[in-house]
Amino acid sequence: MAQPPVSSQSQEQRVQEFVSGYQALRAEVGKIIVGHSEVVREVLVGLFAGGHVLLEGVPGLGKTLLIKTLAESLDLSFSRIQFTPDLMPGDIIGTNIIVEDAQARKHFQFQRGPIFGHILLADEVNRATPKTQSALLEGMQEGSVTVSGHSHPLPSPFFVLATQNPIEMEGTYPLPEAQLDRFLFKLRVRYPALEELTEIIDRTTHVRPVEVRRVLTGPQVLAMRELVREIPIASHVRDLASFIVLATHPQWDRAPDSARRFIRYGASPRGAQALVLGAKVRAISEGRFNVSVEDLRATALPALRHRLILNFEGEAEGVDVDDLIGQIVEAAESMTGSGKEVFLR
Amino acid sequence: MPGPTVIERLVADVARQIRLRRAEFYGLRGLLWGAVAAVVPLLLKESLGLWSYLAAAALLLAGAGAGALWGFLMKLPPSDVARLADRGYGLQDRVSTALEWADRADRTPIVDALVADAAARAEQLGARRIIPRRVPREAKFVPLPLALGLVLAAAPPIPLPQGSLPNFSVSRDEEEEKLTDRSGDLQQAERRQATRRDAVQRAEVQERTLTPRLGGGGQSQPGDLAAVFKDTSLAGRAPDFNSFLKKGDDRLRMLEQTDRLPDLQSDFTQSQSRVVFQKAKALRGGFDPNKKVSPEKLRELLQEMERLGRKNQGGQSGWSGDVYEGMEALEGGDSDRAMEAMERALNKMRSQEERGRDGKSLKGGRESDRRGNKRGNERGQGQGGPGDEGDFPEGEGLLPGRGKSGSPKGDPTARLRGNPFDMGVEGESRPGRKQGIDTNMVGRGSQMGSRLQYMGVLGQYRKMMEESIAREQVPRDSQSHVKEYFQALDER
Repeated sequence: MAQPPVSSQSQEQRVQEFVSGYQALRAEVGKIIVGHSEVVREVLVGLFAGGHVLLEGVPGLGKTLLIKTLAESLDLSFSRIQFTPDLMPGDIIGTNIIVEDAQARKHFQFQRGPIFGHILLADEVNRATPKTQSALLEGMQEGSVTVSGHSHPLPSPFFVLATQNPIEMEGTYPLPEAQLDRFLFKLRVRYPALEELTEIIDRTTHVRPVEVRRVLTGPQVLAMRELVREIPIASHVRDLASFIVLATHPQWDRAPDSARRFIRYGASPRGAQALVLGAKVRAISEGRFNVSVEDLRATALPALRHRLILNFEGEAEGVDVDDLIGQIVEAAESMTGSGKEVFLR
Repeated sequence: MPGPTVIERLVADVARQIRLRRAEFYGLRGLLWGAVAAVVPLLLKESLGLWSYLAAAALLLAGAGAGALWGFLMKLPPSDVARLADRGYGLQDRVSTALEWADRADRTPIVDALVADAAARAEQLGARRIIPRRVPREAKFVPLPLALGLVLAAAPPIPLPQGSLPNFSVSRDEEEEKLTDRSGDLQQAERRQATRRDAVQRAEVQERTLTPRLGGGGQSQPGDLAAVFKDTSLAGRAPDFNSFLKKGDDRLRMLEQTDRLPDLQSDFTQSQSRVVFQKAKALRGGFDPNKKVSPEKLRELLQEMERLGRKNQGGQSGWSGDVYEGMEALEGGDSDRAMEAMERALNKMRSQEERGRDGKSLKGGRESDRRGNKRGNERGQGQGGPGDEGDFPEGEGLLPGRGKSGSPKGDPTARLRGNPFDMGVEGESRPGRKQGIDTNMVGRGSQMGSRLQYMGVLGQYRKMMEESIAREQVPRDSQSHVKEYFQALDER
């Protein structure tokens, strides 16, 4: 075995800085957001993984507040777009307007839209028309927008947090699968527990001013994103991620029965990327230098739940995608070899 | 930096644990199969003696040892060991990742921190067993063969079944005895007499082996319809359907003249009369002297004799009166009288059977029967006998339409009728490239040259036909035609 270089101390410091920054950010968000620890954690994972997050939940659960608090905790610009059916792409991206210079000459000038912010809250993204949704999603994928033949790069880091209401489907335009795939994670915001609800009442109905500090800057976030990608992953953990994604495909010959029965289309390679990236952030956020199987297991739900398309039987039987993913992960773990199999082979 | 060494030491320690557990696991499996195998020598304790104990113990130990050795020496990749170490010590894949990435060229700087972290954690681990003991599912069956082996070891030797088969071979004496039982005294006397004569004449007769076996066909004379059956040249040739059809047409034409053909189909070895003789013998032989005859069986036998008389003689058989008398006696409950009547009927049947065996199963066909009846009556009146009729002049008697009688074949010599053993033909199939029939004639009639040729042809006639039909692609209609002919002979 080759001897490692002596720079490990600095690497440990980098990881330690990551952990402290992560925890500081989480603590700031926690000042405002009561409960939803897992949602907050996944949102931060999405932030440091370099992806975008879709939050799904009924109104009043604090989705918007969570995102606003996160934006306030970061020294980054923040934009909010309330998606409505009459929202046009130009309202998001921006448009060319005629301006007059000092010599009274008129010319077009690009007026940037709200998408040009570091953190973008796309509230109720499913209420806008597909054309408008596409304008946003193009920027999410490419990191730039094109207007009148000119490409305008979006600021970095660029982090989109979109929300959608799962129960009010009247007058909505559900995101197509191709656009859902652009989101790294899809998080389900659930009702708070009793203790959390009590705390929410206490915090929001008393005069108790809460100040949120800006704990991280944009460059720091970018550096942390870079560090995440350096985290090594063992081959058997990587294979497990591949097996998990492949097992979501009913056409795969080793797919579990539940996948064959209820899934029409499985996760894309973006799903595998999201799985591993999320697992890496999760690992380093705990101060570890490697990805473990537990990280993959924990990341599977937010990374895959919006990438599985149920078939008619799955829809008719009301199959919970989260349960389905749990079964798929178990099946994938058995494929890569459990402890018993490793022992006997 | 002690990191890699510590990690490798940890992996080696875990590998040793895994090997031991595997040795236990597969040793138990081997123990089971060794115990099963050990039962076998204990079953053979009677023949093996004390060696059975040694063999059983050796098999038991060999099974367990081989299993343990197999498990210990099984392939064990370090990556798998590291994974199990991570699981066992709760290291969250630190060891396996560090082991894998430490030597990779594309490792990132953070891998160094990973190795250091993994080594530090490995150093803090106390020595403990992390690989749980696994018991194979078959292990619960281990006590069964062990207990069985102990019982067998303690029990007296089990007698082994004899491996030899019963002796089915029949000694010559027994065979002769069976033959004696199967046939009557008269048949035995006939056989002995024929055997004695054979001893005298066989050498001379064998020299007269007939030409048809050469495959070139026998010498035929003009107008001899039977000549078409002498032609056995087809047997020696390659299958030729056209030539067969041509020959077959001639033979079928011959077969259509059934009145001219002799009855060669009678099987005197298993005739109905013979069956009746055997049944009667069985009925008498099975009796206990102190018991009476079973009236039902006796009635069945009498009825069969009555049916046989009606069939053969048109109700004019000589034993019918005795049979009726026996049946009446049986109706009256007098079994002894019925038995006496049956014995008389049997004697008459036997006498008629002997008279009917003219020339040892070679009767002269329908006309011969007619002639035989007439001559039998004449003989019964004291006339006729061997030598009463002189030999036919040349060209007469043998050929159809050339004899003195109205029969197209002419009349055979009378002496052939005088003694049933005057004439006989014994045929034996001779296999080989050129198939043929070796035929010997026995009896005084064999001395007559014209008769010899005629009987030789007849002796081969039926066998040649059967062999030709079986060997060549005979149309099904023609086969049935020939079979119907022989069936018609049977009925007559």
